[in-house]
Amino acid sequence: MAEHGQGTSTNIGDKIIEHVANSDVMIHFELFGVDLSITKHVIMLWIAAGLLVTVALYASRKYRSEERPIPSGFSNAFEFVVDFVRTGILIPTVGKDHVLKWGPLVLSFFFLILTMNFLGLMPIFNYINHGHGGTTATGNFNMTAALAVITFFAIIIAGIMEHGFFKHWKNMVPGDVPKAVLIILIPIEIMSMFVRPFALTMRLAANMTAGHIAMLAIFAPIFILHNIYIGIGSVALNVGITFLEIIVSIVQAYVFTLLSSVFIGQSIHPNH
Amino acid sequence: MENLLNFDTGLMYWTWITFIIVLVILGAKAWKPMIKALENRENFIRESLEEAEAARKEADKVAGEYEAMVAKARQEAQNIVATGKETAERMKADILNEAQDKSAGILKQAEVQIVAERDKAIAEIRTQIVDISMAAAEKIIAKSLTLEDNERLIEDALKDYGKN
Repeated sequence: MAEHGQGTSTNIGDKIIEHVANSDVMIHFELFGVDLSITKHVIMLWIAAGLLVTVALYASRKYRSEERPIPSGFSNAFEFVVDFVRTGILIPTVGKDHVLKWGPLVLSFFFLILTMNFLGLMPIFNYINHGHGGTTATGNFNMTAALAVITFFAIIIAGIMEHGFFKHWKNMVPGDVPKAVLIILIPIEIMSMFVRPFALTMRLAANMTAGHIAMLAIFAPIFILHNIYIGIGSVALNVGITFLEIIVSIVQAYVFTLLSSVFIGQSIHPNH
Repeated sequence: MENLLNFDTGLMYWTWITFIIVLVILGAKAWKPMIKALENRENFIRESLEEAEAARKEADKVAGEYEAMVAKARQEAQNIVATGKETAERMKADILNEAQDKSAGILKQAEVQIVAERDKAIAEIRTQIVDISMAAAEKIIAKSLTLEDNERLIEDALKDYGKN
């Protein structure tokens, strides 16, 4: 492989993939036969989680100690986002009575994904593992799949908690359709049960990776043509794309959270 | 180099572990207290608004009642004044009539009395004049007059008195 920054048009694609992919295993670690190897995305996940826990605990300190807190400054801004998730996502989907039960999960999804999306925008994580680009942990489908699996089980648990074990599975198909239709409907519903988290997985991972690939592709002509002036245009364009990526980061965190909440809500309030 | 679509179970497990730790810590320490606080505040604001609305309605009701009461009192006062006026007018008329009647009676009585007193006085004067005349005549007669002179003098005196 060519040296970093000295690539030619033949291996530029590999270079881009290298920048957006996870690192090789940095520390191999197994526990009871379970692979718990640490890679760059694991470290980014920890940094995001640590940052989120610190910030959220700091912002919510008044809420733990006071009966009716009046937030100010940063707490106020943080509360605004929490209330946005509560009134914009939770109440319309799971319903007002279930906000306290499902709010923590949905809020954790939103804030953790958002933090990781934002961290991915900062081009500093190439220093964790030299030779690799600053990727986004949520651009790794292994991570988004793991999050979607949590949604998958949350949907089932929500239905069982609300309606009981058997009623939950019966709720998945409408009760007043002819038997013949059920033959088609049951497989469709079972498929949709798995397709939903799969779509969540791919949507988030692909969107978070796509922006990085686009930015790297826009930088690529500088190295292919060895022309410094192209850099001016590339940088200008990438500054614009970075702003777009900020919006994409927020939107994708919102979409993942909203859809998870919608599915949980459908399980609690089966509409057919 | 890692491929974009490599399976990486390590990352999946770490995602679950980390997510559950975040969920447990923030669920208990941040999200639930914040959700509760937001719900409390929402309820507090709604209750305050409802209370204010109820208080406003109550105030409106009381004000309406008060106004009705004032209007009724005013009407009553007007009635009382009107009745009072009417009574006073009637009493005034009665008193006037009575006074007029009384004064007329008094006047009449006074007139009658005056006439009676005058007649009495005249009669008294008349007797006294006769007495005086008689006494004077006695004295004169005793000196020079005749009977005829006496009678003529008496007649003349009476005539004069009658003229007066």
